Amino acid sequence: MGVEMDKLVVLPCNGLDKEAGALARELSLHLTRQGAKLVCPVLYQRSPARYKKDLAWGELLVIDGCKTGCASKLARERGLKIARRLNVAEMLDKMGIKGQKDPVPETGHLSALLSLLPDMLLLRKEEEEEERFEEILFSESVEMKEFMVGKFLFKVPVAGYYFNENDCWARVEGNLARLGVSDYVQQSAADMVFFDPPEIGAEIDQFGEAGSLESTKTALDIISPFSGKVKAVNHRLVENPELVNLDPYLQGWAVELELADFSSERELLMDCNEYYSYLREKVEREFREKYG
Amino acid sequence: MGVPRSKIPWCPEIDYDKCDFCMECDKFCPHRVFERRENEERKLVVAHPENCVVFCRACAKTCAPDALSFPDKKEITALIKRLREEGKSGGGDG
Ligand code: SF4
Ligand code: SF4
Repeated sequence: MGVEMDKLVVLPCNGLDKEAGALARELSLHLTRQGAKLVCPVLYQRSPARYKKDLAWGELLVIDGCKTGCASKLARERGLKIARRLNVAEMLDKMGIKGQKDPVPETGHLSALLSLLPDMLLLRKEEEEEERFEEILFSESVEMKEFMVGKFLFKVPVAGYYFNENDCWARVEGNLARLGVSDYVQQSAADMVFFDPPEIGAEIDQFGEAGSLESTKTALDIISPFSGKVKAVNHRLVENPELVNLDPYLQGWAVELELADFSSERELLMDCNEYYSYLREKVEREFREKYG
Repeated sequence: MGVPRSKIPWCPEIDYDKCDFCMECDKFCPHRVFERRENEERKLVVAHPENCVVFCRACAKTCAPDALSFPDKKEITALIKRLREEGKSGGGDG
């Protein structure tokens, strides 16, 4: 088959729990037969040193079974650089196949996945290139206003952002908007460990969910300030969710939307000044409740 | 959102057929929406719905038996827009 196996190192889901997992395992074995190297998630967890050489040899492809994304999480915990990611549950969704409960994979499902595989592997690369191109639209600096409560410092941009009361922001450029979560979310949730992006092309309602984040403390949905169609997701954030902690308003963006109804939806949102006052009041109240 | 919070009916609803009173939702939510009732059959109630952050559904994720539900977001957004319009027109000429 026409996929160039340019030195793939495959880290799959363990594959024992559900059919999607078992299929992830089968896909990995298939790729191994084509020259890819395999990282066993269980052994890797116990003795990561065993795979040092293999991991240095090629590009890492992570194959998750279901949307829990255990393999991605493992890679991230170990600080591995993920070059590509496949998710069997998403691939099945795409083909309109319903995964079954029985963890022994159905042969028809496997061959359907194999037929999709070459495209999926190429697609991931193209998406990355598209992203690099789009990055230029949104400039990478913004002026911040700060306030302190106790020993905590909170930052809010001075202009150019819209916020909802769920502490999610949108930065608008023409008919596009980037979405993310505010510095306050980042500080209260602590270290982000996982970003589950929405599907490219998905239609999102105003205040609907545009992907989710998971930190060491909690899980949270990104509540979209605007409605629109998902044009891009931040692949860097999939690999490095801690960008939300490091730079919540710029590099920590999560999703890019093509806006559907900016002017009327904007009325239900706060601008930077309004959010600054709203947040300050909220943080001060929380502080009083906690420390009296 | 330009509409008094008391007019927006957004808060969790507890399905008491499912709830096992593990209190995870209450431990999670910092906004004092729930209240524990030690001596009552319903040991947890939504005592302060107006404290719930509109469009937040975060506590539902902590609920293992899936006992928490919320109103439809689309309907609530439409309601907020309608209330805003009414507010603007002064609501006096009907
Ligand atoms: S939805 Fe959010 S604010 Fe409302 S009760 Fe649950 S956690 Fe608290
Ligand atoms: S988390 Fe769910 S089961 Fe536990 S107390 Fe809350 S509603 Fe009940």
